[in-house]
Amino acid sequence: MISRSEVKHFANQSPRFDDMICSLPAGPKTPGLMVGETRKVMAIARKFNEEVVRPYALELDRTLHENPDFLPWDFVEKANEWGFYTMWIPKIFGGKGYSMPTMCYFVEEIGSACLAMANLIGVHYLGVSTLNATWNMRLISRLCRDIVAGEKNHTPCLVTLAITEPGAGTDVEEIDLVDKGSVTCQAQKVDGGYKINGSKIFISNGHLSTWHMVIAYADLDKPSESTVALAVKTGTPGFSFGRKENKMGQKGCPASELVFKDCFVPDDLVCMDPAQLAKNKRPVREINMQMIDYVVSATRAGVGAFATGAARGAYEAAVKFASETHVAGKLLINYEWAQCMLAEMYKNVALSRLSYVETNYANGIYGFFREIQKKPMYYYYKMMPVKWLEKMVSSMTEKAWATTWFRKTQFDGQTDEEICRTSGWASLCKFAATDYGIKNCHMALELMGQAGLRHDRGTEKILRDAKLLQIYEGTNQLNRLNLFKCLVAPEHPQAVVFEE
Amino acid sequence: MIAGKDKELKLLDKASTEFAGKQLAPEREANDKYPFGPFFDTVLQKAHELEFFHVMLPEDLGGIGHGMAGLCIVLSNICREDASLGGILFTHTAACELMIAAGGQDRVRTIASESDDIRKFLIACPVFNNPSEIAHLARAELKDGKWVINGSLEYVVLGGLAGHALIPAKTGNNDAAYSWFLIDSAADGVALSEPVMSLGLHACPAVDMTFHDAPAELVGSEGTGESAFFGMAAQMQLPVAAMSLGIMKGSFKEALDYSKGRFQGGRRILDWSEIRMMLADMVVKIKTGDMILSAACRNADENTPGWQANAAAAAVRIQADACDLTTDGIQILGGIGYMKDYGQEKRFRDAKHLQALLGLAPMKKLKLIEDMIR
Repeated sequence: MISRSEVKHFANQSPRFDDMICSLPAGPKTPGLMVGETRKVMAIARKFNEEVVRPYALELDRTLHENPDFLPWDFVEKANEWGFYTMWIPKIFGGKGYSMPTMCYFVEEIGSACLAMANLIGVHYLGVSTLNATWNMRLISRLCRDIVAGEKNHTPCLVTLAITEPGAGTDVEEIDLVDKGSVTCQAQKVDGGYKINGSKIFISNGHLSTWHMVIAYADLDKPSESTVALAVKTGTPGFSFGRKENKMGQKGCPASELVFKDCFVPDDLVCMDPAQLAKNKRPVREINMQMIDYVVSATRAGVGAFATGAARGAYEAAVKFASETHVAGKLLINYEWAQCMLAEMYKNVALSRLSYVETNYANGIYGFFREIQKKPMYYYYKMMPVKWLEKMVSSMTEKAWATTWFRKTQFDGQTDEEICRTSGWASLCKFAATDYGIKNCHMALELMGQAGLRHDRGTEKILRDAKLLQIYEGTNQLNRLNLFKCLVAPEHPQAVVFEE
Repeated sequence: MIAGKDKELKLLDKASTEFAGKQLAPEREANDKYPFGPFFDTVLQKAHELEFFHVMLPEDLGGIGHGMAGLCIVLSNICREDASLGGILFTHTAACELMIAAGGQDRVRTIASESDDIRKFLIACPVFNNPSEIAHLARAELKDGKWVINGSLEYVVLGGLAGHALIPAKTGNNDAAYSWFLIDSAADGVALSEPVMSLGLHACPAVDMTFHDAPAELVGSEGTGESAFFGMAAQMQLPVAAMSLGIMKGSFKEALDYSKGRFQGGRRILDWSEIRMMLADMVVKIKTGDMILSAACRNADENTPGWQANAAAAAVRIQADACDLTTDGIQILGGIGYMKDYGQEKRFRDAKHLQALLGLAPMKKLKLIEDMIR
């Protein structure tokens, strides 16, 4: 009926089979144990919601309304106590080694009860993911061990990503824009390290974190080719916290300004700079974009999961209200129009979830998680005792060749098509899920009327919290353009993106 | 809102625009901190002195009789800068209209003329609720020939500020009917909660009220509450739409101004065609809103047959557009728009808040079609 070459030919026609569906080819390659692992992570999150998040969410939000300078150390310490800041740190570095895709299910659960608290946990892994995406094994080991020590000695050690600048938000996430933009945070090469000057804004968890993954630029005229990723510890001379933003929502999760004045960062805390990438296949500029794509392909799925949580929180509030409220003499849930609204909201939750699940399947076979999710690797790390891993593997991460090898396999080993597929799906997930999140909040408030407006009912907070999801990790407009760049433009050579 | 060639409406337009720009805009973020910051009594008193609270009231009841168009112009201009004051003005006017619809014109005339103190003058009212939709209303009964109320009522707007409150309560054995009662907020037997923390309109606070044999004055005739409510709601949907329209205009102006000065990728964001498309969508919503609201107000003031359906349709459309537009209003400013230092996040909250006025949004739509097919 059809030859093998014809199958290949037709499957590669637009839309390409490999771009259309990631879960189908990924399914057989996914370790079966991940199902139980995911179920367990979800259960842990639900227990935490019941014991910690739900009893405190509205009180924390109200406290921040009253005192915008409040910092939720109490919650961070509780999350640290529960082990959440090491849960997705690999076992070879002393962490609990849960698979990264399980985090999305976790933050959906926490986000369904409180997005600010979900961020207080989840955003830590934005910092960790950035560190991991530099593939600097020595520094990954060092910082991860700090995080693990922070858990053991009850002193939370969180990591941020510090990339957004006062004059550059969208620009810093896209290499085609950053050279035309107005970045000002400079990392100047000096003897023995770099000196940073400038500031970063809207840094989630800034005031609460110990380490900051700072993205700065050696040459402000050519930032795309001179990007430097540095690990800066709170307390480093020349580094201070500026203002803490007063936000509409997600009030419990601080957004901080980080200020650098002649802040010296020694060479041994430089995660990645152009000199380190000289032996890699792609030009430095492309590797810098690839590093960003590695991060956002994972974290935009995470934002999709936050948004799924928001959509679910709104749906659950609406269905609860409809189940217990009589309107004009009839239980609201028994109005046909209300049932259709609730069904629509349920659909929005389900589609949001599917978008982050599919994105993580893409990451599992083409992106960030592809090595660690290969069955032999997965089971090796799962089954081996921590002591054995410490003895056999951990010491190797200190060697320079480990970083070289990882960068070779991760940067050079990922094809352009694979970068586009993971980045494109992540953008799709990000703007689809966050738009659904907002949609469900609107619907819930329409269904609940006056009751939905009250802080003590919790629903209005979900709308305030969810709006931020359409903005951070690249605005939804940038993500639409990125989807076009990654999944549409390659099929249309005449298309140019970001050069209107 | 288009004032047209009417000279008096033009003057009202100018006065309310100037008032909003000078009195409301500079302190918008500070005023929004209520109840965790001070209440803007001075601004409220000035609005009272400028007779904004008398705009729609007929002259024979002590008002200045500018009708629906006048009220909508004032509300739109005020809400462009700060919808909280608009909420206060709306609530008081709605309470007066309810009393008129229930047959309490004389009482309205007394209140309109009796106090220079704005707090004593104001009438609180549960304007977010359609009492027919509520399962448990308070109950009124005659004791020694005087009405007293027992029970509770959620979310009475201005309840903690106003000297009077207009309350729906059931009487006798007829559970289907209710009546409107005026109470003195400071009377024995009236208990008020702290201001209810809410999504928007922070400086237009609501409280929950509890009544224990609270003395009350029946407004109009017993059992006519529902018809009075729907009479009031038919008219007052237009001011709600005007408030939403004002918020849209404020959000658009802020977004346009910001897009001229913010650069990304080496270009003003105004020069990104996707941003222009978003701004164009905002303009479409505002221009069409202006036109349909002006037409609906004219219909209402001229008592054109079917004006009620026009008003209801205009309100549903403009309120929904305001929710969408203010979402984009934040989006164009990005992270900046999400912060409290700018007006965009407040406009987003206020637009959604207003959508809940006069009852559940879906029920208001159903009422529109029910009235048409009746």
